[in-house]
Order: sequence, then structure tokens, then C-alpha cells
Amino acid sequence: MTAKTNKIRAFQGGASIKPGGVYWMRYVIPALAFYVVFMAYPMIDSVRLSLYSGTAGTREFVGLANYVRLFTDEVVSKRFWNAFGNNWVFFAWHMLLQNALGILFAAILTNRTMRGRQFYQTLIFIPCTIAVLVTGYLFKLMMNPVWAGTTLKAAGLGFLVRPWLGDRSTALTCVSLVSVWQWVGIPTMMFVAAFQGIDDDLIEAASIEGATPWQQFTLIRIPLIVPVIGMVAIMTFVSNFNAFDVVFSMETLDGAPDYTTDLIGTLFYRYGIAGQHPVGIPEPGVGAAISTSIFFMLLCGVIPVLRTTQGKE
Amino acid sequence: MKKLLALALVAIVSLLPILAMADGELVMGSWRTDDAEQVNALLAKYEELTGTKIRFEPTTSTQYNATLRLQLDNGTGPDLFYSRSYATGDELYLNGFNVVCNDIPGVMENFTDSVRGAWTAADGSVFAVPFAAVSQVIYYNKDIFAEQGIEKLPETWEEFIALCQQLKDAGITPLANGIHDNWDILECVLLGMLPNYFTYEDRVAYESGEKKLNDETWVKVYSDFAQLIPFFPEGFESIGNNDANTYFGLGQAAMLIDGSWSCGTLMKDYDVNMGFMAFPAPAGNKAGLCLHADMGIAGNAASAHPEEVKAFLAWLASPEGAQITADYLPGGFLPIINAPITLQDETINEMAALSEGKNTDVRFIWAKMMDLYTPMVENLNAICRGEQTPQGMADAINALWEEALAK
Repeated sequence: MTAKTNKIRAFQGGASIKPGGVYWMRYVIPALAFYVVFMAYPMIDSVRLSLYSGTAGTREFVGLANYVRLFTDEVVSKRFWNAFGNNWVFFAWHMLLQNALGILFAAILTNRTMRGRQFYQTLIFIPCTIAVLVTGYLFKLMMNPVWAGTTLKAAGLGFLVRPWLGDRSTALTCVSLVSVWQWVGIPTMMFVAAFQGIDDDLIEAASIEGATPWQQFTLIRIPLIVPVIGMVAIMTFVSNFNAFDVVFSMETLDGAPDYTTDLIGTLFYRYGIAGQHPVGIPEPGVGAAISTSIFFMLLCGVIPVLRTTQGKE
Repeated sequence: MKKLLALALVAIVSLLPILAMADGELVMGSWRTDDAEQVNALLAKYEELTGTKIRFEPTTSTQYNATLRLQLDNGTGPDLFYSRSYATGDELYLNGFNVVCNDIPGVMENFTDSVRGAWTAADGSVFAVPFAAVSQVIYYNKDIFAEQGIEKLPETWEEFIALCQQLKDAGITPLANGIHDNWDILECVLLGMLPNYFTYEDRVAYESGEKKLNDETWVKVYSDFAQLIPFFPEGFESIGNNDANTYFGLGQAAMLIDGSWSCGTLMKDYDVNMGFMAFPAPAGNKAGLCLHADMGIAGNAASAHPEEVKAFLAWLASPEGAQITADYLPGGFLPIINAPITLQDETINEMAALSEGKNTDVRFIWAKMMDLYTPMVENLNAICRGEQTPQGMADAINALWEEALAK
């Protein structure tokens, strides 16, 4: 090796390429800085905020009072656990229906005899590109007997004329299904990519050995994409527990009717940002306590899933 | 980041009054960014009359309370500022930020007790001059009424219910209202009905616990309310305030119970040939109208121009000033002064005339009972779904209020 190339390597940090070296540090700095400023700092600051009462200008340190209120106050805790429960139902619909459909669609789309794959793929993905406020509002009109009733009755579908979004027994299901319909394209895309990554030799070998298509699917293709399933599950989990817009556009910030569609997102918004109508004085401390509690609950859900599905190279 | 931006914004907004003070100009703070055009015209008129220049500096409604508080804390508050009614406005007075208005000519004479009460602190000090009010009315479709041969508007609640039945029998949806939005069923419907059942004095007695919220009157109120339910559209559970307005505006329902503030948009956005009436009182009751004190204007006690501030407030409290102000009021907001005012806009004038010869009062729960807001909405929803009875609601609300009073 000439002296010149050595110099260049030293300049690039190459001199420290050895196990345990810290040459990679400088490459991490931009991402780390971005993460600290935009993710870690606000998150820690929100934990700090949860120990204060009042709004800007009148902020006072109150210790754990916001948490005590969140978990012991009759009304606040009832709303919190209600929203928490609703969120699990909302998540269950996505996990069981959206992601199962995603696998099904992906299996069909990656079938070697499939024609017009691009077309169907686009069709499935299109709803993801539309603003939630738009799809939510359109479905809100479609599910409203006042606006859709006449058309449905004329088409002989009178049994569909119901206040779907105003009835406590159907509201949350309808909201969840609209969200499933809208976002099914995302897991589909991820599963398509995962299925395409499977080596054709494996499938070929299996079919030569006499495995049925169903056996190939359940015993070879599915086990091979477990890491992707785990990732999709985590993404679904996190985005569902942060959901807000679909309820906002289809129901109200109160999670009408009677809080049956109230999610953590809407609850947080009501307490932390907008304040309860009509007084409208927000309690950022309580809002921060809600988000901090949820953060730790999510963490407890995400870590085991990550451990069991990821990192098995 | 958002916080930083907000802080920067607050800082800029807080600095503006200092700059303004330098050239002897007064500043007015407000939460009505939508009304800048009208208010600027009004202030220009005021300058023309008196030579005092006032600049309108509105802040977004949701940011207003916090921004104003910060400005006042730092001694950079506007000379004049819009004051919320009741507790929110009172809080600033309790911190010594408001000019006490009791001595300002006109304040004690030209407003009714219940209106002035919205800006009166516990010690009797008036902390802002009442400026504008909103009301609730029943809008009706004149064409549908004409087709059905309805020539006379109902004069009693019983006639009103009979009218609804007549329309329903004719295959027309009588009312466009629903319960989906969780506020209009209470704010527009129930609170609009209340002044037909009792007066301001009764409200004070209910607030103090002297009268019970589950007495005969209240059971009658809730029973009368429950009579409306069959006349809401099919699937009213999923109808929000916008749906109701559109439904009525498109001529698919004969009537709509809503706030006076909707009048402007209903006239502008739809072709509906509409009229409006006040809630008819039950036979034997004296008719009343909910005229809700919404906007007041307060003076900053620390203003560098105390004389000009007082002069402006006195002008607002005078019939002459109120008359000029009324010409510039944004649609749906009504003058609140107890003096005959003629409004240029015929429709708004007609709306303001609804209160003539009636008991008026603010929204029942606004003064002291805001904690009952959510329970009332929840119980009204339950009545509409057939899961609660009028007596049951009265008992539930009364129990909550007794509990609150005991604290």
C-alpha cells in the first residue's frame, strides 16, 4: 500500500477500521442530531410537561397530580380507559382484517399465473393516497340515512338505511372498517415485496417434493416473511394508537356517539390541545400525562413483538 | 418547534402594543379574526367622530386567552380588549387587569341585570361593557309552509307540536336537527327553550340551590323537549349541525332549530325562502328569549390612555354609540343594549325584534353551572335514544348540582 492511499484512508477514517473502532460515529451524527432535536427532546419535554399544570405563562409544578387525576378522577379515568379499550378494538380490526387481507392480496398478486398485477396493485393502493379527511367525509355522507337513504331505498337496499355512525353498536366498527379499507394498500405492498424476495428455488423444490399450494403457502412462504409480519404488526399498532384523523372526520372530537369512537388521539386532543367544549381551556399537563402513559404502554407492547419477530437472521 | 414558533408569535404580538403606544394610538385585542373588516370600519367611524385612533389587533380564538394573559402579565396588554363572559373574563378582573366600569356612564342604566351579570364579578364590579349577543331561533321554510296552507305561526308550544305533527302526516320531515355533534341539541335546542319556562330570578335561585333542578318545571322542560324527537329526520343520531343546516337549506325539512349566527350562512349559501320565529312558550307561560351575552369589551387598567379608554367604553354603553356599532356588527350577532336600536339589515333587525316584550336571559348554565354542560348533553342524547326519561334526567342533573354545591 502506498503512502498516498494510506493518507486518503486516514482522512476517511479508514485508519480506525477495526473491531470496536468508532469511525462510524461521524456518519451517525446527522441522523442522531435530527432524532434528538425532533424526537427525543419533544418526548422528554412532554414527560416534563406532564408534571406541570396551567398553560404558558401560568405554569406551575404539581408533581404527579396530573397522573393521579388521570387514573383516579371518576370522569377522566373513565374516559381514558374507555378510549384505551376502543383503541384496542380499533387495532384488532386492523390487525385481523387489514393485515390478513394484505397477506391475501399479496399472495394473489405474486402468484405466477396472475395477470394485470400492476393494475390491481394500483387499485388497492389508491385509497392510501387520498386524504383521510376526504375519505372520512365521503363515507360519513354515504353512511348517513339522510343523504344516502333515498338512493339505497330506490336500489332495494332499504335494510342498509341506518344511522351507522350514530348508533353506538356500529359506530366504532364502521370507523375501523373505513380505516381498514383506506390503509390495506400499505401492508399489501410490504407483503408483496416480502413474497417476491423468497427464492424461487425453494418453491420449486417444494412442489417437486409434492407440497400442495396450500402447504407451500403455510409452511414455506408465511414462515419466511415472519419478520415482515412483525414489522407490519408494529407499524399497525403504533399508527392505530396515534390515530385521530379518521375519528375527527367521521365522528366528532368527543368520539360521538357517547364516546364509543373516542380514541387516545381524540382524548389527548380534547384535554391537551383544544380544551373541553365550550370552555375551551386546555390542560396541557393532563394531555402530556395521557401521552406519556400511552408511550410506556406502547413500549410494553412493541418490545416483545420486536424480540420475537426480528433479528433472527 | 411548534412551541418555539408559538412563542415567537406571542413575543411579536406582545411587542406590537408597545410600538403602537409610541404614536398615541390605542390598540384593541379580540378573538374575532373573522370580523376584522367590520370592526375596522367601525373604528374608522369612531375616529371620524372623536379623533381617537384605535387599532384592531385580533388573535386566533383558540390562542386568545393565553396570549392576552401573557400580554397583560408583561404590561404590554392592549388598551381595550374583548372580554369573555363569566368565569373566563372574571379571572382577568380578579388579577386586576380590568378597568372597573361601574362609574362609566350608561353601564348601570342601559343594560339589564342578566346581561350585565355576564361581566360582573362576585364583588359587584362590572369588568367589561356588554357588546353583542347571540340567540337561538326556529328557522322555517316559507314555501313548505305555504304549500301546506300554514298561514299562522304557532303561538304556543302545543300549537308548535301540532304543526310538526301536521307536517309529518303530510310526509314532510318537520325538523332537520340531529344529535351527532354533541353540542347543538343542548346549546341550540334546550337552552333556547328555557327562557319560556322561567326568568333570570329563577335561574339565580336554581344556581344557589334554593330551587331544585328536578322540580316540576324542569320535568316539564324535558318532557316538552322529548316531544320533538319523533319530528327529527330518520337517522337523526348521525346528523350533525352542518348536516342539519344543509338538510334545511336544501328544502328537505320544514324547520331547523339553530343559532342566530347561522342566519348569515343560510341566506348566503342556500336558495331557501326562509323565515324564523322564537320558541313558542307553553300555554300559560310568559314568552322569553335566550339572548346570550357573548362579547364584552374591557379596558386595560394599566393603559397609558385611561381617558380615551373610558371615553370609548362610555360611547359603547350609550344608545347613540350602540346604534352606530350595530350598523357594523357581523351577521348573527345582536346588539345587547337595553335601548331601541334600528339595524340596517332587515333580517337581522327582524331577528333582534324577537326579544321585544319578552323576558330575556343568557344561556342557563353559562353563568355558574358550566360543569353541567357535558352531563346535560349526555342525558339529552339518552332521552333522544329512548334510554332516559324526563324525570330521570331531572334527577340526575339535580344530583350532580347538589353534589357540586356541597363541595
